[in-house]
Amino acid sequence: MGTAPAQLFPEFLVETFGLPGVLGEVVAALIAAAVVGNIVLAFTGVAGPWAKRKITAAFTDRIAVNRVGPFGLLIIPASAVQLLAKELIVPEGVDRPAWDIAPVILPASALLGFSVIPMGRLGPINFHLADPEVGFALVFAFASIASVSLVMAGYASNNKYSLLGGLRAVAQNLAYEIPLIVTAMSVVLFAGTLQMSGIVSAQTTTLVTIAGFDIPAWYAFVNPFAFVLFLTANMAEIGRNPFDIPEAPTEIVAGYQTEYSSAYFVLFYLGEFVHIFLGGAILAVTFLGGASGPGPESIGFIWFVVKIWGFFLFTQWARSALPRVRIDQLIEIGWKGMLVLSFANLVLTAVIVGVIA
Amino acid sequence: MSLERPDTTDDAAIERTPDELEALLGDLVVKRDDHLNAPGFVIRPDTVQETLSILKEQAGYDHLSVVSAQEYENRYESIYHLKKFDDPTQEVSVVVPADKDDPVSESAEPVFRTADWHEREAYDLIGVEYDDHPDLRRILLPETWQGHPLSMDYDKDRPQIATLPEHANPLQEHHKDDESDTMFLNIGPHHPATHGVLHLKTTLDGEQVVDVEPDIGYLHRSEEQMAQSGTYRHQIMPYPDRWDYISAGLLNEWAYARAAEDLADIEVPEYAQVIRTMGAEMCRIAAHMLALATFALDVNGDFTATFMYAINDRERVQDLLEDLTGQRLMFNYFRLGGVVWDLPEPREEFFSKTRDFLDQLPESVEEYHNLVTSNEIFQMRTIDTGILPPEVAKDYGATGPVARGSGVDYDLRRDDPYGYYDELDWDVVTEDGCDNFSRLLVRMREVEESAKIIEQCVDLLEDWPEEERNIQANVPRTLRPDDDAEIYRAVEGAKGELGIYIRSDGTDKPARFKIRSPCFSNLQTLPEMANGEYIPDVIAALGSLDIVLGEVDR
Repeated sequence: MGTAPAQLFPEFLVETFGLPGVLGEVVAALIAAAVVGNIVLAFTGVAGPWAKRKITAAFTDRIAVNRVGPFGLLIIPASAVQLLAKELIVPEGVDRPAWDIAPVILPASALLGFSVIPMGRLGPINFHLADPEVGFALVFAFASIASVSLVMAGYASNNKYSLLGGLRAVAQNLAYEIPLIVTAMSVVLFAGTLQMSGIVSAQTTTLVTIAGFDIPAWYAFVNPFAFVLFLTANMAEIGRNPFDIPEAPTEIVAGYQTEYSSAYFVLFYLGEFVHIFLGGAILAVTFLGGASGPGPESIGFIWFVVKIWGFFLFTQWARSALPRVRIDQLIEIGWKGMLVLSFANLVLTAVIVGVIA
Repeated sequence: MSLERPDTTDDAAIERTPDELEALLGDLVVKRDDHLNAPGFVIRPDTVQETLSILKEQAGYDHLSVVSAQEYENRYESIYHLKKFDDPTQEVSVVVPADKDDPVSESAEPVFRTADWHEREAYDLIGVEYDDHPDLRRILLPETWQGHPLSMDYDKDRPQIATLPEHANPLQEHHKDDESDTMFLNIGPHHPATHGVLHLKTTLDGEQVVDVEPDIGYLHRSEEQMAQSGTYRHQIMPYPDRWDYISAGLLNEWAYARAAEDLADIEVPEYAQVIRTMGAEMCRIAAHMLALATFALDVNGDFTATFMYAINDRERVQDLLEDLTGQRLMFNYFRLGGVVWDLPEPREEFFSKTRDFLDQLPESVEEYHNLVTSNEIFQMRTIDTGILPPEVAKDYGATGPVARGSGVDYDLRRDDPYGYYDELDWDVVTEDGCDNFSRLLVRMREVEESAKIIEQCVDLLEDWPEEERNIQANVPRTLRPDDDAEIYRAVEGAKGELGIYIRSDGTDKPARFKIRSPCFSNLQTLPEMANGEYIPDVIAALGSLDIVLGEVDR
């Protein structure tokens, strides 16, 4: 839209360090990807062993980790060592190499998704790796690779609980992917572009001004109905309560990850957390104005982080408070409810956009 | 009244004298063998079904509490303890002797479905064989066990080899038959939602359950045999705490106390009865809180806040019970003829702590209603799942909140009063939903009723004159009830009718000590609730039964 596309992170590196030619671009891209990847992984590291415990404890009137280091923060390295030091048990009859590849695919696919997410500026650096014209479609494609991993793990584990979990994952993804993307398309209709930066900048205008406060034209405010639909579908997409059906520890033990231990288990957990953050990032970009927020544009990254952590908090809240729906109920909600609603939303949006524009 | 009269509810409700019953049964009765609690009719082993059908259909004895079996010097004997759901004080025992060399007796399973497991247990532990039983296998012990441990010629020193039973390998292929494409799934014995070591042999068609068969006995600790080798006066009382160990200890102790006190004709002082009533209801709150907590785990997932909230509330009751009894789980607080000691000093402090708990309780219950029962997803999950129709519940001998959640208005505290209950003002809670939701709701509402009872007890105890605080009757050091006296007595435990059958032989130890566990009977209803439902519903149904394996397996 109006504003010129911001300088991407790799371009910034090329310019700043004067890296020459194609090789320079590759090196810059790798460095940038490593930085972004590590930021996300650092979030995960804080979220998994520490924040999750603290948050759950707060919801359940407990204290949780507070002995190791300040606020129990040193539990993070302690847990890391503990988890990695455990024996990797390879059950008899697992289908290798599928069984070994599955735990890698989950975090990898979720991390890939971050390649097109505009995470906003911090000082001179714009944390945005790539901005292809089809970025918006790409991010959903990456995010849904995750279910391949779950099916693979479920099928290769040679365990009936895992198999059930894997099958549940497929059924759930089919039921929710379509409403999710159809709802996202209504945003595309508004923005008129599939480019991530375009979708973000389309939300920078002011919607209304109430008592001197500018309410930005975030799509969550423009179309709250689509926001709620998307949020719900997103919870199912990342498999959190009330839709943690593929894992459902009290029903099918831990579903697809029942047979995984040690590093593989860590990879799965890592993948799930990255996936939650990716879900939060997609939500932020699509409906919450990306990195926009009060203050100068150069602290946008902080707002972005706040938004995805807010989403993380939301998932944890749901996990502490909400019951799990049954698989047949979920599929019913997905196919009979959300799909219809999302198409209604899409048509309505198309009409409105057509009339206004 | 004549035999030809059609069965009407009025007819069934009539209370008959033992002689009228004998006339009703006519030639079926070989002789009388009355028990302390009920008239007993000895019948021939091949007329069990006929006798029980007459008693069930024409005399209205629709509740087979328990089947207790035992071996004598010259015969085996199975006793069917019958009651009426409408009035459990009307009891009758049907005594079925079986031949010493060839102990075969007709099965009661076609008349009362609940006899299935009870007879399997009798076969397993005593060795009576039941003709016409659909599935006479061992139930508590491994299938390969040699001998019957409670029979007289059992050699306990003989080494036993317990091999892994069929389907022990969870990876093993199993289909119901060649054509169907069902999948066999072992749920348990180690599974997050089996509430202990319970094994459900499940056959699945996709996500739907075709068949589920509970496999129990993993926690069998010979509780009956241990009680039989302890003296009435002192050595048995610690055991009941270990049956339903989910802090329902005092309720269990009361079951033994009631049976033994009636057997030995011991009168309990009123003051002790009030203390017992108060303690028992505290235990009920603790047990129901845990039931709520674990049900939330099963339905919500394992990080639900409800679990910790309910555990917190249970902790408060637990503190009160600790103050009262000096113990947190294995109370050992009751004595035959009373309780072991008076309320803790200073009494005012105990009363005020109890009142604080009671004052805060409505707020907690309100919170649970907000968090759990009024949640739409929760309702979607639990309403109309795990259906247990009242007739089926009765047929299986289901009692307690499970039966009351199916609208069966049966509570021994009111219907067969003991302790101080009939002096107090409280209500029996029933719900007509017959589903998982109703069973949970019954428990939550019972907590409020229990609180009412405790409050009244505290009022009474506070004003009790100091000189009349008699906590124990005078009971001889050694109790030797009359030879061959038999009694079955039950109390309303946290899970339902917890009954004890004792036969004395003139010594200071019981000759036969049989525990009627409510969980054992309730668990039998699981296939009725689960078949045709989805896996998550089976888990929810199991949670709503609120079983404790310590009590199921004993």
